[in-house]
Formats: sequence, structure tokens, C-alpha cells
Amino acid sequence: MRKAFGDALYKLAEKNDRVIFLTGDLGFQVFDDFKNSFSTRYVNVGVAEVQLMCTAAGLALEGWRPIVYSIASFVTARSFEQVKISIAYPHLPVIIVGAGGGFTYSTSGPTHHSPEDLGLMSLLPGMTVVAPGCPEEVRELLPQLARINGPSYIRIGKFGEINYDVKEPVVIGKGRLLREGKKIAVLCTGDTALVALDAVMELRSENIIPYVYQFHTLKPLDVELLESLVGHISAFIIIEEHLPQGGLASSISQLLTGKRDSPVVVRLGVPDEFIIGNPTREELRKRLMIEKESVKKICRNVWNEF
Amino acid sequence: MEMSLRDVGGLDKIAKQIRATCIQMSFDAKHGHLKSALSCVDLLVALYWQWLKVSPSTPFDNNRDRFYLSKGHACAALYAVLAARGFIKIDSLSTYARSGSSLPDHPCRHVLPIIEASSGSLGHCLGIAAGALYGLRLDNNPSRAVVLMSDGECNEGSVWEAAMFAAAQKLDRLLAIVDYNGLQATGRSDQIMGFTSLEEKFRSFGWASKSVNGNDISEILACIKSFPFEKGKPSVVIAKTISGYGVSFMEDDIVWHYRVPSNEDLENALGELGVEPLYKVNK
Repeated sequence: MRKAFGDALYKLAEKNDRVIFLTGDLGFQVFDDFKNSFSTRYVNVGVAEVQLMCTAAGLALEGWRPIVYSIASFVTARSFEQVKISIAYPHLPVIIVGAGGGFTYSTSGPTHHSPEDLGLMSLLPGMTVVAPGCPEEVRELLPQLARINGPSYIRIGKFGEINYDVKEPVVIGKGRLLREGKKIAVLCTGDTALVALDAVMELRSENIIPYVYQFHTLKPLDVELLESLVGHISAFIIIEEHLPQGGLASSISQLLTGKRDSPVVVRLGVPDEFIIGNPTREELRKRLMIEKESVKKICRNVWNEF
Repeated sequence: MEMSLRDVGGLDKIAKQIRATCIQMSFDAKHGHLKSALSCVDLLVALYWQWLKVSPSTPFDNNRDRFYLSKGHACAALYAVLAARGFIKIDSLSTYARSGSSLPDHPCRHVLPIIEASSGSLGHCLGIAAGALYGLRLDNNPSRAVVLMSDGECNEGSVWEAAMFAAAQKLDRLLAIVDYNGLQATGRSDQIMGFTSLEEKFRSFGWASKSVNGNDISEILACIKSFPFEKGKPSVVIAKTISGYGVSFMEDDIVWHYRVPSNEDLENALGELGVEPLYKVNK
């Protein structure tokens, strides 16, 4: 997804000479092409995320379209007040890019974990929040974010994720059907979609066929799609690399509260605790049940109940 | 832009009238922050009558100088100045700090679009102004940016991130003015964050700095005449002021951070100033 981001950024800057890229001293060599082609529109603000946001705000006030890049935890948690006051309050068109969201940097420890980034950004009124699941979704979503006349946050993962083979277009604010199914639906966000697709593919031989939907846009939530599922879907299995608060599961649960025939919600995600011990991401995902075998097991159980 | 002594005398009178207006506004709205508003009146008058390239007839002109009131809580003074200069209606001052007003007790750009940025939370505007100037320079726009801050505000780390960025980017069209009135919300600023020189701090961050008596309009104007103080560096003026300046019983007294004037305070203050507020009060 990082490579896709670099490419999409380059294309945007080529098309729109008001696009300006700001980094908090990160992305070593990743943006060299950009820097060489658009040297005046590449600004390294330094290890100063607070100033990173204020610089973006000032630029946006003067008609620029800033795209701000750093590690997810630093562009969301560390500079939260600047994002709130200087960017969200005046509703400025700034795209904030959080690289390595969730537990991409799991072995670096809690200082580099950001299982709260999507929630923090979703808390701010008027903020669009997206978590693409594959390089294609990054390429498709970035130009759409650039057309929004307000602030947005995009969580991007690491290098080397694969694209999933899906025809359904990537439209901001719309859930994306990845696999047709019956009875139950797996709802994903970010790169948990890849895990879900792997699991669901293997379940076919057992004649267990859940739908798979990707919610690359967390805010605004695709209420229309979710409401259309109520009534004929018995259970949602929601997979998110996020805390219980503020992520996809909490938004959907909030929406479903009080609805008649509301599907049962099963959540696979991060518990409300700091992850100590610097596990690898694979180990951690196993523990959190964000991996193929766990998803298969849960799907089997839920499928057999309904 | 050159002025005679007579002009400065005129500005002093204007400053008194702005002060009288702030006190009336505070009294009417039952809202404090007077000490912070009164300390920076002379700075605002110097800027708005003699220095800033801004015009009430074209408030959104792209080549205007950008002014940011970073110490948003002192906005009564800014509103009075904007009204006196014709940017907003004088009548609107009576709505200050009331529900639904375009002049809330911390400036909001949604309801008052002629300001460059909303403020209230300290330590934002220096960084925003630096970002704005970076963009303006890319556009070959000659506008300058002035940020009026408080000394208490310089407690914020964000001020120093902004200071580093502005110096690194050689933003020499940036002028920061610190209203160094020596008092913050609960005590003396020097005691709370250490007895070190703000002028030296900024200088060590790569800025060109000067100190001035910030309650003396002719001295302020003489000082900012030489802006930018050094080519290639942002400039800062450490303006030594007296909090609550202009009214003897409000000067250098911390209670006037929050206190609202009583009937008697109002009468005495206006008596001392010897001028009427800009707007008439509907009783």
C-alpha cells in the first residue's frame, strides 16, 4: 500500500499543481521521485508533528491542498489538538496519511502501535476516515479524498500487500462487496479484508458461504448498505485491527442499536489494553484472532447457529 | 506611511477609545479577559492604523497582510479595532460574547470570516502563519504575516516547533509580536516558566528579535519600521507591556484576567480614560 500511495500521490501532484506534500521527517527514499519532480511541493517539516499540522492548515487557508504524511500514531494521537483546532474546526481540505496503522509496527512496541487512529480521527466532526485494504483501494481512494472539500484521514499499511480480485468499484462512503454469500456476512476494514477472503475461500469446500464486505470508509459509514442487510443477514462478523472503541464494530453496533431483526454482531479485534512484549504481527494477529484459521472457526460456529 | 508626531498623538487618543470600548464590552457581556485585551491595544492600533496592508473595502484581497490574533482571549481589543477601522459594524460590538454573536469570546472564523484563523487554544497561530507564508511565497505573493501572541502562550511547545520551522524555511515575511505583559492566568509568567529572556530564546531559534515598550505607539512603529529585522530570518518583537494598561486600578493586577467590571469600576475606568466607548449602550 505504501508503494501505491507514493504512485497515487505522484499522479495527483502531476494533475493538480496545488497539491503539496508534507512529511514529518519520514519516508526515507520513498518519495525521492516526488521530491525530484516537485521539489517546491515537498516539505520536510521535521520531527515536529504539531507544526506539521499547523503548516498544513496555513497552506490550506491559502488555497493549497496539503497531504500530510507520518507514522499513524504521530499524525493522529500526538498532534490531535492541532488536527482538531487548526484543521477540522475550519474544515480545511487536508489529507492526513497515517503510515503503518494498527499493529504494522508491532515489534516496535506501544509507542508505535496505533490501534486507536481510526477512532480518534472519527471523533472529529466533518472528518472523512478511510482504511483501504489493498494497493488498488489506496490508488482509487486517494484521488477521491483529494476532491473532498474538507479534512480526511487515510490509514495505510505496509509494503507488499496483494490486490484482491474484485470487480466492484471503490467508491468513498460505500461498502464494497468482495464475495457474494448467504445468511451471514463478514465485514472488514483495512487489510483485514485479505484475511477474510482467504478464510472464506477455504470455507467454500465446507459449503459455508458468508458474504464478505469491505468497509474501506469508516466515516461516513455506509448506512444504506448496512440497513439493506438487516433482515436477511443473521450475523455480522466484524474484523478490525482497532480498539473496541471508535472502530468499525462500534460504529455498526451503534447503528444497529434498537433496530428490529438486528443481526448478531461478533467482533474480532483488539482488546482494550496496551500490547506489551513486542510480538510479531503474525503472532499478535493469531492472539487477536485476526487470521485465517480463527476467522474460519468463527464463521463455522456462526453459520451453524443460524 | 510616514507619520508626524501629531498623528501619533491621534493614535494615542484612538487607543484610549479602544480601551474604553473594551471595558464597556466586558461590562455589557459580563465577560473578563480585560487585562489581556488592554495590554495589547497599542500594538493593535499601531498595526491597524499604520502598518498592516489591509483594507475594509477589500478584506479578502489576496495581497493583504495576514494578521493572526493568537491570544484569542484578548479579542475584545481586536473587535474594537476592527470596528473603529470599518471592518465590522460598530453596533455589532454590543453583541460581544453573547450567544449567537459574530463576535464570540474567542474569535471564530465561521461567524467572522474576515479573520485569518479562529483562536482560543494557545500556540496555534504562529505555526499556521508560517504554513500560510510558505504557501504565499510559492505563489510569489508579497504579503506579510503578523502574529500577536501572549507571553503565557510561549509556554506552549507548539510555539517553538513553529519557531524552528519558520527559521529553517527563512520566512522573513513573518513578524511575531509577543505581548509580554508579565501575567498569565494564575501568576507571573517569569515565575511560572522561568526567568529567561524571550528575546534570547527566539534568537537562539534563528530569529531576529527586538524589544520595545509595547504601550508606546511611536516606539512600536519605530521598531517595526525596520521589518524584516534581518533578511532571511523571521522577526519577533518582544513588546514589554503592562497588563490592564491605561486604567490605574487594573494595571498589573492578576484579578483582571477574569474579573468583570462593576458599575463603579466602569465609571471610574471611563473617567480615567476621559473618552467615550465607540458604541452607545442601549439601556
